[in-house]
Amino acid sequence: MSSTVSAQNPVLRVAKLSYRYPSGQLALKDISFDVQPGDRVGLVGPNGAGKTTLLLHLNGLLPGADAGVEENASAVEVCGLPATQAHLREIRKQVGFLFQDPDDQLFCPTVREDVAFGPLNLGLSKEEVLRRVEEQLAAVGLSEIESRNTLQLSYGERKRVCLAGVLACDPQVLALDEPTSNLDPRARRGFMNLLEQFPAAQIIASHDLELILDLCSRVLVLDQGRLQADGAPEVIFANQRLMELHGLEVPLSIRYGQR
Amino acid sequence: MPRDFLDPFSRGSTICHRLPDRLKLIMVLAVIVAAMLVPAAYWPVHGCLAAALFLAMSIAGIPLRYLLVRLLFFLPMILGLAIAVPASNGFARGWDVALTVLMRGTLSFMGVLWLVNTTPFDRLLVAMRRLGLPQTLAAILSFMYRYIFVVFDELQRMREARRARSFTRRGFFAAWQSNAQLIGMLLIRSMDRAERVHGAMCARGFDGEIRTLE
Repeated sequence: MSSTVSAQNPVLRVAKLSYRYPSGQLALKDISFDVQPGDRVGLVGPNGAGKTTLLLHLNGLLPGADAGVEENASAVEVCGLPATQAHLREIRKQVGFLFQDPDDQLFCPTVREDVAFGPLNLGLSKEEVLRRVEEQLAAVGLSEIESRNTLQLSYGERKRVCLAGVLACDPQVLALDEPTSNLDPRARRGFMNLLEQFPAAQIIASHDLELILDLCSRVLVLDQGRLQADGAPEVIFANQRLMELHGLEVPLSIRYGQR
Repeated sequence: MPRDFLDPFSRGSTICHRLPDRLKLIMVLAVIVAAMLVPAAYWPVHGCLAAALFLAMSIAGIPLRYLLVRLLFFLPMILGLAIAVPASNGFARGWDVALTVLMRGTLSFMGVLWLVNTTPFDRLLVAMRRLGLPQTLAAILSFMYRYIFVVFDELQRMREARRARSFTRRGFFAAWQSNAQLIGMLLIRSMDRAERVHGAMCARGFDGEIRTLE
């Protein structure tokens, strides 16, 4: 019974989302899907398929305020709220966004200030902000570097500080753009273990199909701005014709029967 | 560019590093103001300031070699400025003004060099905020310090990629043409990055008002 209730209240609903770049080129066409609370959903597809563009819509970074496409903006609903300019603040509180390049996201002089950036913007008290900073840095295993300068961190550390900064806003949904690109195998595994721990719903755009097999119960295949497939990763990734049609490849673990 | 290129000694532990940040900032501002206000005729005052700065440098453990190298970059600029006055008078008058500009500039430069090499930049920003620096200016300085390394590394990568594909030594004109292209490309990339950083700020609830822990 409870599953039918939650099926009626998706934490994220995308209905017939279309988007053209300012240049006029079609980026997304008629994308529709729901995400239930706590779901982890993979998003795969070739370069230029529109993965990042789709993610940017989820917390209102696209379409821009000047786009003047209100009918488009309401194609995305977060916790029942349409993603229009009026609800932007609430939407961004509910949807955390992890950018691909940590240098884009880590802009404060010290680790503490950076993780505090989101909570401060939420208008929390100083005590609560510091509590969250401590809590989230502990969650990503970096408590000891709180007062360090952000310039002195390794790539893996920067990536994890970024994640702490997003989690400190306590989002219901996490949108992750290539979370493990450029990480070495150990850092990648560590980062995947972190993602597995978090109860928030997650949408993970990645070329790392093994990661999606490990973490996600569902995968969306995006190509040429259209949703081409939606289902269980084990089933979709095993479909060689579908995978090669969309510039992907059957993961080795499936091909050699390790799954 | 090494991450400590701008302030290699800022994380020391000498008495100078342990002084309160605001006190250091006020002291250096006082040195600059004194150097600016005292006329060149009272040169012993400038001499005393220089000696005091030199002493402070050695207490802070900042090596002479480092100071000389930095001065080497700074002096040509201030010399160009200083020489302008006598030059506009046919090199007959104005040498005293040139000397004043030179002394004041060098003293101020040395003071600031001491300050940034005894105070990590994030703490310096907090100290400046507490002395009334407007939030927006503090944010601009903070972003500048954060991204100068990122932008410089990007330039380095582009230069390396160019060198990897250059087979012949080219003439002066061709070299500068390609430098101009490089700089133009760097500008565009930096603007793209600025867009993404702004997006990342908005994604964490930024609404135009800068809030800090202070």
